[in-house]
Amino acid sequence: MNSASNTSSHPIVRSPSLKVVGSQKAPADLLSLLLREQQSMTAVDRFVSHEASTPHTQARYYRDLIPGVAPGPGQQYAFEVDLDACTGCKSCVAACHSLNGLDDNESFRSVGMIHGGKSDAGFQQTVTSSCHHCAEPACLTGCPVNAYEKDPVTGIVKHLDDQCIGCQYCTLMCPYDAPKYNSARGIVRKCDMCSDRLSAGEAPACVQSCPSEAIRIRIVDKADALAASNAGSFLPGAPGPQDTIPTTVYKTERPVPANTLPADFFSISPSHSHMPLVIMLVLTQLAVGAFGFAHLMPRPDGPSNAPPLSHALFALALAGLALVVSPMHLGRPLLGFRAVLGLRRSWLSREILAFGHFAPLSALYALLVSPLATAALKYPIVSQYLDVDRIAWLRNVVGTGAIATGVIGVFCSVMVYAATRRPHWSVAYTTYKFFITTIVLGASAAFMLSVLTGGEPGEAIFGGSKIQKLLLLAVMVAAFAKLAAEGLGLRHYFDKRTTNEKRVATLMVRDLAPATVSRFAAGGLGGLVLAGLLWLSIGANATSGLSNATVQVVAIASFAFLLGGELLERFLFFRAAPASRMPGGLN
Amino acid sequence: MTKPTPSPKGLAAAAKKLKELGTSAIMQRTGPLTRELLLSPGVFGLAKVPERIKADQTTTMVCGFCSTGCGLSIHLKEGTAVNLSPTTEYPVNLGMACPKGWEALTPLYAPDRATTPMLRNASGKLVPTTWPVALETFVSKFKGIQEKHGKDAIAFLGTGQIPSEELAFLGSLAKFGMGVIDGDGNTRQCMATAVVAYKQAFGFDAPPYSYQDFEESDTIILVGANLCIAHPIMWERVCRNPHKPEIVVIDPRKTETAMAATQHVPLAPKSDLTLFYGIANLLIERGAIDKNFIENHTKDFEDYRTHVKKYDRERVIRETGLSGEAIDRLVDTIARGKRVSFWWTMGINQSHEGVRTAQSLINLALITGNIGRPGTGANSITGQCNAMGSRLFANTTNLLGGHDFTNAEHRDKVAGALGIDVQAIPDKGSATYDQILEKILKGKIRGLWVVATNPAHSWINQDFLKDVASRLDFLVVQDMYHSTETARLAHLLLPSAGWGEKEGTFINSERRIGVLKKVSRAPGQALADFQIFRLIADAWGCGEMFKDWTSPEAVFELLKKVSKGQPCDISGLGDYAMLDRHGGVQWPYPEAAKVAPPEQQRRLFADGRFFHADGKAKFCFEDSRPMPEPTDSKYPHLLLTGRGSSSQWHTQTRTGKSAVLRKLYPNDIYVEISPNDARDLKVEPNEWVNIHSRRATVKARAFVTHTVQPGQVFVPMHYSEMNRLTFPSFDPYSRQPSYKACAVRIAPVRNYEE
Repeated sequence: MNSASNTSSHPIVRSPSLKVVGSQKAPADLLSLLLREQQSMTAVDRFVSHEASTPHTQARYYRDLIPGVAPGPGQQYAFEVDLDACTGCKSCVAACHSLNGLDDNESFRSVGMIHGGKSDAGFQQTVTSSCHHCAEPACLTGCPVNAYEKDPVTGIVKHLDDQCIGCQYCTLMCPYDAPKYNSARGIVRKCDMCSDRLSAGEAPACVQSCPSEAIRIRIVDKADALAASNAGSFLPGAPGPQDTIPTTVYKTERPVPANTLPADFFSISPSHSHMPLVIMLVLTQLAVGAFGFAHLMPRPDGPSNAPPLSHALFALALAGLALVVSPMHLGRPLLGFRAVLGLRRSWLSREILAFGHFAPLSALYALLVSPLATAALKYPIVSQYLDVDRIAWLRNVVGTGAIATGVIGVFCSVMVYAATRRPHWSVAYTTYKFFITTIVLGASAAFMLSVLTGGEPGEAIFGGSKIQKLLLLAVMVAAFAKLAAEGLGLRHYFDKRTTNEKRVATLMVRDLAPATVSRFAAGGLGGLVLAGLLWLSIGANATSGLSNATVQVVAIASFAFLLGGELLERFLFFRAAPASRMPGGLN
Repeated sequence: MTKPTPSPKGLAAAAKKLKELGTSAIMQRTGPLTRELLLSPGVFGLAKVPERIKADQTTTMVCGFCSTGCGLSIHLKEGTAVNLSPTTEYPVNLGMACPKGWEALTPLYAPDRATTPMLRNASGKLVPTTWPVALETFVSKFKGIQEKHGKDAIAFLGTGQIPSEELAFLGSLAKFGMGVIDGDGNTRQCMATAVVAYKQAFGFDAPPYSYQDFEESDTIILVGANLCIAHPIMWERVCRNPHKPEIVVIDPRKTETAMAATQHVPLAPKSDLTLFYGIANLLIERGAIDKNFIENHTKDFEDYRTHVKKYDRERVIRETGLSGEAIDRLVDTIARGKRVSFWWTMGINQSHEGVRTAQSLINLALITGNIGRPGTGANSITGQCNAMGSRLFANTTNLLGGHDFTNAEHRDKVAGALGIDVQAIPDKGSATYDQILEKILKGKIRGLWVVATNPAHSWINQDFLKDVASRLDFLVVQDMYHSTETARLAHLLLPSAGWGEKEGTFINSERRIGVLKKVSRAPGQALADFQIFRLIADAWGCGEMFKDWTSPEAVFELLKKVSKGQPCDISGLGDYAMLDRHGGVQWPYPEAAKVAPPEQQRRLFADGRFFHADGKAKFCFEDSRPMPEPTDSKYPHLLLTGRGSSSQWHTQTRTGKSAVLRKLYPNDIYVEISPNDARDLKVEPNEWVNIHSRRATVKARAFVTHTVQPGQVFVPMHYSEMNRLTFPSFDPYSRQPSYKACAVRIAPVRNYEE
């Protein structure tokens, strides 16, 4: 019996079965004839055209919509949209999809709407948009593998699909949401102004399919694009042109009312969570913090002595884990090694390079801390070059180097997001967040390890309870500072204007409430309540506090809650991030 | 034995290769992913496309969504469709299509296609069955009902979505073969008003225009028509008008078309009849009328003049809510225009007094002599791809070919043309859609056969329809999908092949007959409706009557024969290949007036002769009436409905299957509400609100926008719950439902999650 499973989503592979199961009574003959007839495509033969080599017939209608010449020096191709002619049929979106053979829901063009006016003079305007082939393309700047090129002659911003590793950073860098991630292929794809067509004198799919000739390709002077961007003139309701200098020209002769807003202005929805990035960021920061505390904390028997191996190994393990997790974010993880290519421009490359150094340095450091280093001195081949003092010196150099690369790495992480110029990812706030995570988790880890590996409370290796109390103080102050800043952000929920801050707060309070509540609960519990309890239990009178085992358990719990809290904070960092995009439709 | 030693040359080559490999691993400028989107040179005059979807043959066919009737070039590879693009040479669309057209093939590949007949089992579930069982059940159930309750206890509901040949087969099989009396189509919901308006005014259902008129007018008056969204390709033709025409949009909403117009007339909903009578009055008062034309080509003008006198300027201002200046400007515009064309769509047709309103526009064209000349006309824009075919050949309201069931001569003529016994032709017309439902409610009709339409979504006051459907002894639904709201109610589902999987002809809004072709294989055991009708005729025992109905093209020959002598005479046409060659041909095309090749843009009434016996057009009019469900203190907002986007088609059974089209409209049902009302009701933008009507309550997302006026709200028709709200009132002459206005109340629903 055939059922719905008989059909396939692809026209070519669909091979319908003609078998009829069951009783084949009276009309069986006619039935099989008709079923057979239904599957024959003979009718086509009567009508098909066989003149294969005819030029594109549609050319007569679009000839004037594309430039006849290549751009000169200081010029480039650009889309020009006549808003007065764009009436929202959205054929451009469908034609881009069909003529470019894109995937089921894929199109490089989209149509949104802006609206405003007043009750007796309503205003609405549909807006078609695609890649703006910016003079300063942020996608290109951000790409860690040089998969973007701006054509030196046409100015078309091209994406090299085979070079892409699917990191999706360009989708965050572009203020206009032009590059889109294609998860089936693990790469990003975007509009290239149909450069294959243009180079052969054919209009791009959107241009040739617009029934009202609202889209055309024209040659623009880059200086004009810059001047327009300086003046902030682009399209009402669209992200400002100052950062990337989009070259698309939107023209209209209609007055646009001052209260004009995108149709989706009030539609606030969570963004992608990027879980591997959440884990990577928190773990690298934890690793750098733990390492820093391990290396820098004063030791009872002087700085020349080795810090405990456990701390070094802990930091190393986390750094390693972060490096293992981070490629999981890539569409094509096996090509992740390309990610250093963009070092000259991309903060993402720099981040990868920095942590790429932090990890081996911390491994070397762990080796130098370990008994292996001193044990190796037994062998002449080693003792020929090294002695205990030299090992200590080397350890200090490597440790300092690791901390430096780690701090640079965290700073690069900050810049990865700050470079997107999203207000909620500002340099200041992201620096604040990422470095306090480094401190709070680093200090908490150091404390936890000290009570796990030390003797009685107050006798730990870091020079006794004073240092432990200092660590706890650092945890509590840092945790408070972070929770307070995040908590204060929520006040924007009550803003009258729908600001970016209000969007973030709305997402946290409304859509992501469970995560938000958990984040504050975990941070408060781990960083304030349990850390405070520990603070009280270890002190001048070491015996008056909790038992050693209890302290260990509470220390682990405190750390675990803090880690969970920071992971949730970072989850919200991505999820509660309002999208930057061209005016969309409703929803 | 000597071991082959690698030559230094070979080593160098290997090293080079290795280096290349390394380089390309680091920097890969091209490769399989790049090639996937690389465009190959175009063939057959088509645009460039990637190699994998490059055509090896191409053929043109008419689109299967709306009545614009665009030509689409199907890109064929090894005999089946792999892609399409609009046809440049087709005289309708000139190489353009709306998103629906571009995506026309996609719905064919949907996973919820019906691939076998399905029968409701004992536990009430629709399960696959075989064709023989399905046919046997169809016949035994329907015959059983007929034996018990009379032949007229079964009825059918057809469509404007299948070719004329299939419509004719359905109507003939049911009425001549099975003895059914009552059958109607979903065209009742869109075109009935225009049909009646034209019939009464012109003597035949004859939209007089050609799309060329959009390009030749100096004044284009669009009433209740949002061309930019509903008929984007007709708007394309408006854009190609070189005369810088004055474009007037008469619509309560500031639609996309109103934005693009030179004049927007935001009249109060359902005050259109008053407005047009008032305008006629002002034109007559000014003497801005064509006395010569009125004298020679119309009758009853004096009565009309007297009638419209009642609609003076003050009354019009009062009832339409328009300013005096706006009215004067509109009158000036019409008076000044040399080639004025009047166009209307659902804003007029779906109204409690739609026929008279449509005729008030026809009357404006008549008194100003704006008919029969290029760029003029009183022009109804049809809805569905074959609404016009349905009007002429569905054999429901009219006997085949625009004939009259009650006319013995007509019955004889049709019987003769078809070669059947005249006794088989009923001598009375059919009940209308709403009357069929009433008959079901009263138990007079017990079995219903629904073909290619989705009333459980589309019928006004939807809960009533569902109640009615549940009372049927046997409901057969014939559809492409087993998932439509109506298919889910069926006792028996017959799986149809869709547009693109069968042959036939459509007639578009400008009377152009265009060909469709079989370019894709139907899934499983789905069959063209035509073939299903053949099987049913055979199983019913009336196969003999339809022995000549072997192919759509054979039936097309019969339709040509039947049309002979009618205003829609197409007896001069050749076969499908002839239609294909000429990019479709408009009716009429009688044997006598045959020219070769046929002119591509023809309009009616150039000679001023109408189809009434005296050759004159008739003024039809009566007093305007208040809308049936006005707002009151309990339901203070007026709900307007209409098309939401160009990427949605009616009940979305097909357009909902394309991921690209789904991107182009909001997923959630939404209601447009004025910021003034939102403020009063404390509705925040984008929040969920309840829309209460006397029939039902529906949740929708608030889109707060000035495109609707205070006191009015708008909900697109494509969301299935919308018609739970609408008020079932009907035009008395056309029995077309008035979807466009009912009273509702809006209230916020806080914290609603889907």
